[in-house]
Amino acid sequence: MPIVTIDGHPISVEPDTLIIQAADRAGIEIPRFCYHPDLRPEGNCRMCLVHIKGFANLSPACTTPVTDDMVVNTAHQHDQVRQATKGVLEFLLINHPLDCPVCDQAGECSLQDFYLHPDYGLHPSDVDPPEKVRKRKALNLGPIYLDSERCVMCSRCVRFSNEVSGTGELQFVHRGNHVEIEAFEDRALRDPYAGNLADVCPVGALTSRDFRFKRRVWFLRHANSICAGCSTGCNVRIDYAENAIDRVVPRRNPAVNKSWMCDEGRLSYHNLQDLPRLESPLQRTEAGLQPVSWEEAMLLGQEGMRGPYGRVSAVVASAMATNETLWILRQCANSLPTPTEIDFRLQSINPDINAREDHLLRRLDKAPNSRGAMLLGAGAGRGIEAMAQSAEEGKVGVVVILHYPPLVGQDDNARLAAFQRLIRGAAFSVVLTNTVSGWWNGADVVLPVASWSEEEGTFTNFAGITQLTEAALTPPGEARPAWKALRDLLPVGSLSPRLATVEQIFDRGVAVISAFEGLHYATLASREATVYPPEGRKSYGQEGFAGR
Amino acid sequence: MTKILSEHAEYPDQQELTAAKRRGAYEAWHQVLAQRPADVIGEVADSGLRGRGGAGFPTGRKWRFLQFDAERPPYLLCNADESEPGTFKDHWLLEHDPHRVIEGILIAAYAIQAREAFLYIRGEYASLLPGIGRALEEARAEGLVGPNVLSSDYSLDIIVVVGAGAYICGEETGLMESLEGKRAYPRVRPPFPAVRGFNGRPTVVNNVETLANLPWIIHHGAEAFRAVGTSDSPGTKLVSLSGCISRPGVYEIPMGYPLKQLLEQEGGGPLPDRYFKAVIPGGTSVPVLTAEEIEGVTIDFESMRQAGTLLGSGGMIVFDDSVSMPPMLRAISHFYATESCGECTPCREGTGWMAAIVDRLLDGRPQVDDLDRLLRIGNNIEGRTICGLGDAAVQPVRSFVSKFRQEFEALLHDSSTSNAPDWQTHGHGPRTARHGLVAEEIVRSEPVTGRPTYRW
Ligand SMILES: Cc1cc2nc3c(=O)[nH]c(=O)nc-3n(C[C@H](O)[C@H](O)[C@H](O)COP(=O)(O)O)c2cc1C
Ligand code: SF4
Ligand code: SF4
Ligand code: SF4
Ligand code: FES
Repeated sequence: MPIVTIDGHPISVEPDTLIIQAADRAGIEIPRFCYHPDLRPEGNCRMCLVHIKGFANLSPACTTPVTDDMVVNTAHQHDQVRQATKGVLEFLLINHPLDCPVCDQAGECSLQDFYLHPDYGLHPSDVDPPEKVRKRKALNLGPIYLDSERCVMCSRCVRFSNEVSGTGELQFVHRGNHVEIEAFEDRALRDPYAGNLADVCPVGALTSRDFRFKRRVWFLRHANSICAGCSTGCNVRIDYAENAIDRVVPRRNPAVNKSWMCDEGRLSYHNLQDLPRLESPLQRTEAGLQPVSWEEAMLLGQEGMRGPYGRVSAVVASAMATNETLWILRQCANSLPTPTEIDFRLQSINPDINAREDHLLRRLDKAPNSRGAMLLGAGAGRGIEAMAQSAEEGKVGVVVILHYPPLVGQDDNARLAAFQRLIRGAAFSVVLTNTVSGWWNGADVVLPVASWSEEEGTFTNFAGITQLTEAALTPPGEARPAWKALRDLLPVGSLSPRLATVEQIFDRGVAVISAFEGLHYATLASREATVYPPEGRKSYGQEGFAGR
Repeated sequence: MTKILSEHAEYPDQQELTAAKRRGAYEAWHQVLAQRPADVIGEVADSGLRGRGGAGFPTGRKWRFLQFDAERPPYLLCNADESEPGTFKDHWLLEHDPHRVIEGILIAAYAIQAREAFLYIRGEYASLLPGIGRALEEARAEGLVGPNVLSSDYSLDIIVVVGAGAYICGEETGLMESLEGKRAYPRVRPPFPAVRGFNGRPTVVNNVETLANLPWIIHHGAEAFRAVGTSDSPGTKLVSLSGCISRPGVYEIPMGYPLKQLLEQEGGGPLPDRYFKAVIPGGTSVPVLTAEEIEGVTIDFESMRQAGTLLGSGGMIVFDDSVSMPPMLRAISHFYATESCGECTPCREGTGWMAAIVDRLLDGRPQVDDLDRLLRIGNNIEGRTICGLGDAAVQPVRSFVSKFRQEFEALLHDSSTSNAPDWQTHGHGPRTARHGLVAEEIVRSEPVTGRPTYRW
């Protein structure tokens, strides 16, 4: 393997590695605008120029592959590079509007960050504001706004729409310092992945309509999560403040979603925000369902589930639930005194977890954890329809239903109808859900549970990659993570030792199942955006990412 | 003086195939078809022919860089974008002797075993198209171009493509992008065109004049070619002479010919009652020479380099004592600001900034340190861009400001006099005629410094 020396540090990398990649790996900062690890390098911004020993001119680190014994120096070490980098940054700023106070990008803007770095910026301004080239502001392109004056012409957005989403909607027009990004006839973008444009844009030229003027980014808190919009399991970061999500952005994971996510997934948090949330436990009374305390609800539930009713029990699982919740749900099913059937599928046909919706990321299975549910044996029965049939025939005693509406798309009416039939036919029914709705009206106990973004846990995506999602928000009202509610419903002593955290459930429960063997919650948590299972483990699908 | 390119160009019927053939056209092509391609490359390499598109890269060496691949045959692109201000020799060749260019294309294409060759003509040269089209038709009808040329097993199609009119389309990788139907944004090298060029295939780009030399070289041999010109720059050079000179036009002179002699003899000396002040010897992209510096300079790559400038395209723009240099620089710097494709930062922003500063100097709004600012901006552009346009834009600014500093300093001190020529400067800068830019836009104002200092 070639060994390249950057700023005096020898780095061993694979052949054809670009200098900027070698530097990134070694933690040596090389400033950049146009380079993006998931787009073809174009070398147009000239911010990454480095000195290579033996070369008269400086070379762009983002287009130059390393060769063995190459000696590279960056702006941190080399005067000529520092001067060139400062020169490039100065050029980028001469026609920049400097409207940071009203720019959404402020606080996460490469231009700002580099200017504040003594090796690249901090130069006094050398232009008269009236002489700046003026361009168009706040152009509405549908999901995205374009502020041309802030553009640094890095072409990341053009390359994204050409190479990744394939819609090719953006192009440069004009010449010289009048060059601008343009969508044909200023038409609204029709790219189902357009939200990524605001992410790839290193400055505030492309901003998200959804996030525009919502909040200054330095007030945001972050949680690393997994999108719950489909079985792909894109790695995301939830940005939130005051217990509300302000936006969701992708986290890079080369094996799952590269740097991208779809707009439906990105905006799915709105669907969650729009749900009428169930905030307190309910119990059936003469006058219909009435709020009760958790303690009462639990007592009621435990008693009801003890039976005996002399019939079979039915447990409905959900592929929207985490592996930990599903594992506890299975313990629950096992602990019921009568033979119990558990399923999350409507019929006894296995869901097609891998089917693609498009060439890029989206999958038809709109649940994040169908693979996990299958691996955990939550799809072992005859399907919910068949269970409902049995209930109608009076064969079912206890029914436990766990249900979350999908975050992308609508609830399936056939499923809700089956739930109603189950509840109607059962001797005793417990419902765990996050939403106020009509289908559970006849249930004996209804428990409010936390939703995606409100609890931590793991999802296993279509390919069998198990990924961690952190909690960002606290659940509304008295809602609790479903695994806690279920654990407390179990007969005392049936779980031993008592499993008090998601981590303990994963390590002592989930990871005991062969498909999850060798995984540890702590490593899932500590390695950001890394793929699990590691190499050698069975994969249930091809790489998550296709692209062009 | 040996004529290579213009040997028959004076005949009014030279555009016709029969007439051209009578004078020997396509004989070299017959000769070449009987040779092995490698031998043709060898002959051209031995001749020492250097590219006439500006950089002077040895043509044989360029061809040898090609990575041959029978599956993916290479392309030959003939660069007739000729947009360098003050340059009109390719136009002249295509107009007067199109068959020489076509034969040159055939020979080069055969040498590199291309299946298709493109003749990329700048949009503004539309008037040439009928002539070129007719010449190609004639050559096709005679089986000189097309499938199984002259009953051999070699086939070549020549496709004429007209650009939309941008300087950057003459830059070889910009040309390829343009040919591919894209915006002419130059490509970062490596990969070089010899490895991945047009349509991702190995590609050779040669200038019209370069290729037009080939029939003669094949016909007379490498040695005869080397006997003309200098050892470093064999052959002849077509120069386009324009500006303040008695007989502007295209002249073919042997390499090594004294510049001063060209101006005085071929060019007929300065206009009446005028004397030369400065010459840009290779198109506006090269440093200007003052009249004093011209002394002893000869027209070849080496001598020009020693004189601190470049032979470039051989587009020579002459200024006499009636010309004030700052407005000239305004025209030139606006050309680069307008023609910068805008892909890479230093050139996109720097060329516009330099032009804006020259504007304010001339519009009576100077800042005291503007001259140093111009030089500083130039230093921040040079060597840091994707293509050569950035460097090119710096040369006139730096050489004008340093060699005619007095004229520029006068603008700093006397902000009341506006030397602005009478053209509009909104948006994209002055609307100048693209062809023979400076020749048509000479500003006849009295020089700002009073008595001129340069004279011979
Ligand atoms: C900005 C720019 C413009 C150019 N324009 C032309 C042109 O109009 N014609 C030309 O032959 N070469 C032009 N060149 C040079 C070409 O890139 C290329 O080097 C040349 O066509 C190679 O031909 P040669 O080897 O025969 O000289 C230009 C280069 C640059 C950087
Ligand atoms: S809009 Fe943003 S991503 Fe697109 S070219 Fe401009 S700076 Fe780059
Ligand atoms: S592709 Fe699926 S997992 Fe990825 S962001 Fe979209 S909905 Fe979410
Ligand atoms: S140097 Fe100028 S013309 Fe060349 S690629 Fe850069 S911006 Fe375009
Ligand atoms: S990051 Fe290398 S040129 Fe832009």
